[in-house]
Amino acid sequence: MTGIEQRPVCSGVNFRSIRDDRFKTVRMSVHFLWPLAEKTVSENAILPFLLSRASRKYPDFTRLNEHLAELYGAVLDADVQKIGDVQALSISASGIADRYSLNGEKISAELAKLLCSIIFDPPFENGRFSARGFEQERRQLMELVDSDFNDKRTYARLRCEQLMCKGEPYGIGRCGTKRQIGDLKAEDLTPVWKDLIHRARVEIMVLGDCDPEPVYGDFHAAFHNLGRTEAVDCPTKVVPSAEKPAETVEKMDVVQSKLVMGFRTSCAEPDGNVPAMKLCNALFGGTPNSKLFLNVREKLSLCYYCGSLYNPMKGILLVQSGVEAKNIEPAKREILRQLDEVRNGNFDEDELGAAKLSLANSYRTLSDSLEGLEAWYLSQTFRPSVRRPEEEAELVGAATREEVIRAAKNMTLDTVYRLEGKGGTA
Amino acid sequence: MEWLREVKSERAGDRYFAGKHPAGLNVFIYPKERNNSTYAVFGTKYGSIDNRFRTEADSEPQRVPAGIAHYLEHKLFESKDGDAFERYAKTGASANAYTSFDMTCFLFSCTENVYESLKILLDFVQSPYFTEQTVQKEQGIIGQEIKMYEDDPQWRVLFNLLGALYEKHPVRLDIAGTVQSIAQITPELLYRCYRTFYNLNNMALCIAGNVEPDRVAELCDQMLKPSKPVKIERIFEEEPGHIVRARTEQKLSVSVPLFELGFKEPAGAGRPSAKEMAETDILLEAISSNASPLYRRLMDADLINEASFGNEYFEGPGYSAVIFSGESKDPEKVADEIKKEIAAVRKNGLDRHTFERAKKAVYGRNIASLNNVGSIANSLVSLAFAGRELFAYLDAIAEADADSVLGRLKDQLRPELSSLSVVRPDR
Repeated sequence: MTGIEQRPVCSGVNFRSIRDDRFKTVRMSVHFLWPLAEKTVSENAILPFLLSRASRKYPDFTRLNEHLAELYGAVLDADVQKIGDVQALSISASGIADRYSLNGEKISAELAKLLCSIIFDPPFENGRFSARGFEQERRQLMELVDSDFNDKRTYARLRCEQLMCKGEPYGIGRCGTKRQIGDLKAEDLTPVWKDLIHRARVEIMVLGDCDPEPVYGDFHAAFHNLGRTEAVDCPTKVVPSAEKPAETVEKMDVVQSKLVMGFRTSCAEPDGNVPAMKLCNALFGGTPNSKLFLNVREKLSLCYYCGSLYNPMKGILLVQSGVEAKNIEPAKREILRQLDEVRNGNFDEDELGAAKLSLANSYRTLSDSLEGLEAWYLSQTFRPSVRRPEEEAELVGAATREEVIRAAKNMTLDTVYRLEGKGGTA
Repeated sequence: MEWLREVKSERAGDRYFAGKHPAGLNVFIYPKERNNSTYAVFGTKYGSIDNRFRTEADSEPQRVPAGIAHYLEHKLFESKDGDAFERYAKTGASANAYTSFDMTCFLFSCTENVYESLKILLDFVQSPYFTEQTVQKEQGIIGQEIKMYEDDPQWRVLFNLLGALYEKHPVRLDIAGTVQSIAQITPELLYRCYRTFYNLNNMALCIAGNVEPDRVAELCDQMLKPSKPVKIERIFEEEPGHIVRARTEQKLSVSVPLFELGFKEPAGAGRPSAKEMAETDILLEAISSNASPLYRRLMDADLINEASFGNEYFEGPGYSAVIFSGESKDPEKVADEIKKEIAAVRKNGLDRHTFERAKKAVYGRNIASLNNVGSIANSLVSLAFAGRELFAYLDAIAEADADSVLGRLKDQLRPELSSLSVVRPDR
């Protein structure tokens, strides 16, 4: 089993590492966590992209990328995601372990220095991010928001979440809107950067085949230099149940329609019922043996995909399906009927056992990839104590039939979103 | 097991076992003893392009409907007594399958009950069971899969490009076929294709992860149904050297235009070697990576974005092309710039630093891909069908020289054989 080590760096900053030479690579990442809010969402979102394009030593992105190529195609990456009502702004550096370099180069130590330098010492021009770099990143961020629209499956899911969580921080897009991004100004971003490094909650992770000690040393020094004294609070609002389901229909010129149904589960981390809810989701629509797959797809032949997705950080569950417009109503009826089957306990021990095995398999598989480990441990940030994926598998395995039924009974339908194309309605 | 031999790589510090089982199947086992998970792929060299063929048993060439390989993939999951997913449910394995242009693969990944899961895989792929009723049922599901792809701009922009590059070769047809073509599929046709292509001599089994080679070999002894070697003649109409058209465009519900710029090249009877593949990868890295002057110019002109710009060496039996892709407000301008850069490299060559950097980057990425059992097993199966070897490819990257890399330009990236496919917003 892979052991994780944790230690505090300073107020609100945590360092976690897993040293394991079965990996041929290293991955170091820094995650800034900030409460999602309309006012700050876009100015925060652009920062990881802006920071990861240049450093003091390599102020030009072509020079920086040449340097990364010399380090055997090492990658500096930026990402923005939502963890419940929290915006996570991530910068990562990954590359091959030193022992694989052809000429004895020290890759890990250089990546750690590079990561520290781009985060704490950006190449400001007169105290500002370079105007040209800022404009390029702003344009690319707007295109990133646009591209969510291109994939209709993703788009429909995001729309349902947005409608369902309107008025809650989670209803805000991870990067904000195109207009908000368009309104950003380079000169406003220096204070945003300062605020983030001084006040965000920060998780640092160093995973794979490298010695975490020097990396810890680099980050420890950098954060102590800042003299941090506080960290923002990052709460998530959990709406326990919906009153009456709302339905939204959007028409578009597409061949296949999409149906997304959003449920409140009244169960989110760190609630002790989360493992039972995960099991309930797997049984209902999380696997190719689930009620939804076997009935809506296989038995009724209504769609190619129909499955459910539980978000334990926010306590919501989404059912997604791609169907012909005329089949939306039959699909919806069948989805609700299958939920009733779970609520009424109409599943046998085999189905329950299969759902447990399937979840155990996914959790244990996480430990075989650095990306999987990183995502898992980042999701553990807001729990009172960190669990290993293998421990989560055990908890899910211990959940009972009654707990699953109770979890299903606690689900209430909040929002139905239909993206309708040609092909007529029922 | 005497039929398995060890293949080692000093560079990767890894080894795997490979050999042909007496029953006819090529088997590859890549142990990673400290992994939790194991990933297995059982594949056949049979994909969407194989819709005209003849074996010794056929008096004349057979022509089958487009999309049948993919249909067969769906239907193999069913057997007389329930479907394979139900059986995997008892082992906890996560199972799936995919059909590409030139192969069909069935796979699972699991952390427990490896041999039990492997038994299921070997059993159901070797046990076809199709009836009128079960075949009929799938039309609704696959029909929806086809419709999903009709809305998928990435998929459309690729197939529009393939239609513009290829006049005869079936690589231009959608892998899943059309609603009309799949309506012609019958149990008899499925059995005919099955008997032709699911012959163990035309297949490979690749497993990477927490497994013992001896136990896999034992299970092969127990489960494999020996097949007589089969000789399949795949019939393709002769593909002209030129392209069909230089431009193609479609309007879809997208917010940013998408493009793919393809350069067709002669595809001989054989497939490129590991060395040639490595050389092309390095060449493409040098021309268009994020450290290249081309990338810089495109970015400075606001013509591409980091999230979408990329390239691919798209090659298989009888087809071969380099494809650049991405999102852009002005795809024509991007295509011009790419062609200009290629012309410059053709004229001036690559400087030593650019070449060395590109080589290191490609090398590092390939070392990194050996972390992942899924990526190893899938590479092993596609390399097996292409006649290439995994570690030889890694060595070829490390040993590549600039002259051979530039030599690839003789047949590759020729502007007169290029075509641009664009998907634009419909409003």
